[in-house]
Amino acid sequence: MKINIVTTRNGVRETVAYDYRPRQEGERPMILDVLLQAQATTLPDLAFRYGCRARNCGVCTVDVNGRPRIACRARVREGDRVEPLATLPVLADLVVRRDGIARQLQGRLSADQRAPDLNEEAPETYHALTACIECYACLDGCPMHARNFADGADDAAAPDAATGYRWGNPFSLLKLQLLRLDPCVTEDGRRAALDAAVDLGLDACVGCKGCKCGVGIDLKGGVVGELLAAAGDRLPASAEESGA
Amino acid sequence: MAIEIEWRDYDVIVVGSGGAGSAAADAAAAEGARVLVVSKDPIACSDTKISEGNATVRASVSDADTEQELSDNLRVSGADLPLPALTEAYAKDSRAGYDWYRAHGLRPKINQERQGPYARPLAKGGHTVARSVGHKNAGVAFSHAGWDAVIESTAIDYLEDAWFLDLAVEPAADGAPGRVVGGLVYHAAAGVLVAVRAPAVVMASGGLNTLYFPKTDTMRGNTGDGYAAAARAGADLVDMEQVQFLPFCLTAPASYEGLLVGEPSTASFLGVLRDRDGKVILDGVYLRTRAECSAAIMRAVADGRGTANGGAYLDLTANARLPRSGKGFMRYLETSMPSAYRTARQALAKDAVRCETAWEVRPAAHYTMGGIRVDATGASVGGPDDGTTAAGLSGLFAAGQAMGGVFGANRLGSTALTENVVFGLRAGRGAAHLARTRNAPPADDAFRPLIAAATAPFGRAGDQAPAHLKLELQQAAWDCIGPARTAASLDRMDGVIDDLAQRAAAVSIPEYTLWNQAFIEWVELRSLLDVARAVTAAARERTASVGGHVRLDRPAVSILAQPYSTVVRGRPGPGGVLNFVAERARRPRTPTARLAAMRLKDAWRKAQAKALGLLPPRLLDPILDRRYQAILGPQDAAPPVTPGSPAAAVADAAE
Ligand SMILES: Cc1cc2nc3c(=O)[nH]c(=O)nc-3n(C[C@H](O)[C@H](O)[C@H](O)COP(=O)(O)OP(=O)(O)OC[C@H]3O[C@@H](n4cnc5c(N)ncnc54)[C@H](O)[C@@H]3O)c2cc1C
Ligand code: SF4
Ligand code: SF4
Ligand code: FES
Repeated sequence: MKINIVTTRNGVRETVAYDYRPRQEGERPMILDVLLQAQATTLPDLAFRYGCRARNCGVCTVDVNGRPRIACRARVREGDRVEPLATLPVLADLVVRRDGIARQLQGRLSADQRAPDLNEEAPETYHALTACIECYACLDGCPMHARNFADGADDAAAPDAATGYRWGNPFSLLKLQLLRLDPCVTEDGRRAALDAAVDLGLDACVGCKGCKCGVGIDLKGGVVGELLAAAGDRLPASAEESGA
Repeated sequence: MAIEIEWRDYDVIVVGSGGAGSAAADAAAAEGARVLVVSKDPIACSDTKISEGNATVRASVSDADTEQELSDNLRVSGADLPLPALTEAYAKDSRAGYDWYRAHGLRPKINQERQGPYARPLAKGGHTVARSVGHKNAGVAFSHAGWDAVIESTAIDYLEDAWFLDLAVEPAADGAPGRVVGGLVYHAAAGVLVAVRAPAVVMASGGLNTLYFPKTDTMRGNTGDGYAAAARAGADLVDMEQVQFLPFCLTAPASYEGLLVGEPSTASFLGVLRDRDGKVILDGVYLRTRAECSAAIMRAVADGRGTANGGAYLDLTANARLPRSGKGFMRYLETSMPSAYRTARQALAKDAVRCETAWEVRPAAHYTMGGIRVDATGASVGGPDDGTTAAGLSGLFAAGQAMGGVFGANRLGSTALTENVVFGLRAGRGAAHLARTRNAPPADDAFRPLIAAATAPFGRAGDQAPAHLKLELQQAAWDCIGPARTAASLDRMDGVIDDLAQRAAAVSIPEYTLWNQAFIEWVELRSLLDVARAVTAAARERTASVGGHVRLDRPAVSILAQPYSTVVRGRPGPGGVLNFVAERARRPRTPTARLAAMRLKDAWRKAQAKALGLLPPRLLDPILDRRYQAILGPQDAAPPVTPGSPAAAVADAAE
């Protein structure tokens, strides 16, 4: 089975055709199996992220034929093209720089705003969101995240090393919405979470066709819809992306 | 193009961002320390994240669950290898440790009557009392809490994609291990070496289970870097032969090899283990420890009665076959270990998923009970028996899987997530205190040899690929120091290590410094070689079978024997790989009366289980049905999407 793997070393991009040899009769390998075999044979220096091999850790996401896929649990087909995520800057081969996302939330999830009585149950809507494995598949096609690269750079630009990306994304909104749903967070904490969402560019969501989660969480209803409703008329009236 | 060196100053370095690392960082920052978290995986990406999310919370079900009871459970199931000071600390802090996760957003179901987290009223194997609290979205929910703890604090700096390489140590005058003055880090995302000056380092870097890849269910990052760095710096390691092989992991299909599908408790009331020919090799499986089940499988394999892929059959069919309680069993199976069952559902044939046929299983490396030798504050210790900090490596702390001594020969299910935080908080506090009181001049000279060693491989033009040497080592480790060992296999392992160390001198590593995968593989290979040597040395010192250490050529340890832990200390050896000298540290036996009481309880439960199995189905079915109703408790909805579910795999779902 021939698979095309896009590698990047020292800034040079190349497409390498790798011939996967099935390990068992009728094997239907995952993308990760191909990468592991390539590393074990002809591409020993191949760089890619993985951790659990079980769709739990969220680090193995790559683009396959232009769409984000969780490599350890996405079957590969003859002729597939495997590339690094297009939405983040490439470090080497299939490895992208991830830390600009988390850093934008530093100092925005204050623990002081969690109330002391821990014996409160969270609503189902809360648990629906803690299913997020931080795979970053949802950055694909997000106009808010795209604002970070608005200066015309083809490739994703590097985030500010200290503060992360200026503009948000579905994952960051999900983390903020979790605070708003947590029964142990104070009113102040909830307000601060909404403020942060607005500051990260929530206005981009007005009229956006909505985001897709790589593991199937209802981001449109459970996160974006809720935040938009709560923000109401606090959003700038003429959001540029609206209706786009 | 030489790699750049960036210097930084902190009070405390925390290596790792799983449960132990995030708790340690939080505690140290709360004490006013300037903290740097260094994590090779993205923040919170760890075994903690991929775990089943069952946590031990003492007294969550009954007041009879005293500190003594919990501490004794750990000691007895750990074959009296655990250090009592550590098991007592664990028992004392278990509730507070768990509540740390809650303070950062973990939300369990609440038992209104007891005003605390709800635990199912079923004791897991080796626990004499029910006390395991399950969580929606399993470990992922825990990792959200740990992530928040690191990200929400402005007093914590962090580097991800950053491999901690070595401890910088200023040697002591008297030949003792000396004191920590910082550490060297490869920050792959920036392509630089970061030399961090700091008087205290907390190792929370997880285990060494990747030594057995692909026969492991843990994260790829478990390459024993923390143990190796500690040993290279002169610190003692304890119980290194004690690797826990979880009995029920998959053998096939290849993409799923090594992944967890069940615990002893999964076998429920009627599950048994069978050999290739269908003969029962272990009954009462749900009341056994992980070590007992793994040993039974490996002994059958060694006798030539193993399955095609070198395992055994976990036969759950008797549970599922009963008309009424069978339904309860299936619901129990789906809900008690949701991600394990999901793995089974995706990997196994349909009839196996419905438990109409047995599952082929084989042990896989899951947890390293051994680790950095510490006291109850998480500080490195050395010297005879319990050890003292005076004889330890001053400034080194450890927590979570990186530390050794609390679980001894066997770790009970659901105990690790709590342990992470109990000792993470202790180590973080201890490190902050030490940093505050230490007023020593900088010792940059200690960094020079480390920098030289880390700079040299870039651009080396040899003919060996580090990634390939790693795979050779992993195969040999499974065969020689895996779940079944002999005197000859230990000798063979040393030979393999010598050979690989020699070939590792001729590796090929490109010159570029930004995320250089070959360099990363080399770093991890170096760690794995050192820890393979440590496991081998400890395994030789442990002359009988006990817990995770199964010697096919030796009998099980006598219950009358004086319990001891193995302690190994590294010395520079040929090819740059450490050699280890091994010693024994005496451990007290659980007082006979308490031991007898626990054994009696255990024997009674096993006898009951046996009697149950003899009942005709007509009588058995309603009894089990009632039991499942009690265990399962009130029904509640699963979240619409859960990590690892088939719906979550875009490509899979289409099929
Ligand atoms: C499938 C599975 C299910 C489990 N289920 C349960 C359960 O239900 N209940 C329970 O109690 N336990 C369970 N466990 C065990 C438990 O999850 C782990 O033992 C525990 O979470 C370990 O926590 P830790 O913080 O010590 O290490 P980890 O969570 O593994 O974190 C280690 C960290 O160290 C980092 N690191 C490693 N080396 C370096 C280096 N050189 N430089 C920088 N960073 C480094 C890693 O990136 C990671 O961030 C399970 C484990 C597995 C694999
Ligand atoms: S919201 Fe979904 S797609 Fe986005 S990071 Fe979380 S799991 Fe991945
Ligand atoms: S709805 Fe908002 S977060 Fe989602 S893709 Fe659109 S802009 Fe991005
Ligand atoms: S390797 Fe963990 S999600 Fe794919």
